[in-house]
Amino acid sequence: MSGIIAIAAALAVAIASIGPGIGQGLAAGKAMESIARQPEAAGEIRTALILSLAFMEALTIYGLLIAFLLYGKI
Amino acid sequence: MFFATPAYAAEAAEHGAEHSQALFSIFGLQVSSVVTTMWGLMVLIILFSYLATKRMNKVPESRLQNFLEFVLESILELLTPIMGDEKLAKRYFPLLASFFILILASNYAGLLPGAGHLPGLQAPTSTLSVTAGFAVVVFFATHYYGLKTKGIKYFKHFVQPFPFLLPLNIIEEFVRPLSLSLRLYGNVFGEEMVVASLFALIPLFLPIPMMLLGILFGLVQAFVFTMLATLYISMATAEQH
Repeated sequence: MSGIIAIAAALAVAIASIGPGIGQGLAAGKAMESIARQPEAAGEIRTALILSLAFMEALTIYGLLIAFLLYGKI
Repeated sequence: MFFATPAYAAEAAEHGAEHSQALFSIFGLQVSSVVTTMWGLMVLIILFSYLATKRMNKVPESRLQNFLEFVLESILELLTPIMGDEKLAKRYFPLLASFFILILASNYAGLLPGAGHLPGLQAPTSTLSVTAGFAVVVFFATHYYGLKTKGIKYFKHFVQPFPFLLPLNIIEEFVRPLSLSLRLYGNVFGEEMVVASLFALIPLFLPIPMMLLGILFGLVQAFVFTMLATLYISMATAEQH
């Protein structure tokens, strides 16, 4: 049983990091494109980028928390 | 075993949020190392602010006053574009800047040598209770400022854009503090756990990159928390669009 819980904990954080990884890559790429196109707007773009990255980051963190909870049950 | 974490981390994983043991108790209230660290930070910040503003000059002469003005002005510059207007940003500045400074200090307290191992020293934001406390303050402040600026018309935004979205809007209001607190707690606690497990693998040099990342994450998370609080307050107090 504890083996299954360990696999579940690993899967929780692994799967939870796929989506945000893709999303953050897309967001950061677009932000760099727009900074390259319009360097004078770099400050505003950076603020918006960090905010949106934090929202995506939260999804992985939820997975990580679940992983810790499961890990505590082993 | 990879997760051969030190005792406190294993304890943390077992008990989830409440992973700090009580050091002593005052009037039946248990005081854990998180609370004592918070007291220490409070003393430091209050003492610093007092010393920096003791002899205030219009043109700052003391270094402390110079530094404090620089910090506060940088925070104000960050808040202004979200609030849209420097006057508005200044109105909510005391609450939001306090959040930023306190969360930043709390995050960095976890990077002090011995934090988490020594009794009485642990990053306050690595417990859910502390971050949930911050988030609850943001929750009530948002509605208080919304009601104060707009009066009874404030409740109209619950039925916009369509009345049948009312349940969703109410759920959204309660998800905000949840996600705010979980994000901060998860980041600081997760970083601590990763450092602990790297330390258990190879104690020498291996945890250093992660701790360097921890410096960056501590700043970013304090920034993000403040930004989101600002965003919520500015959305609650904004005129109708």
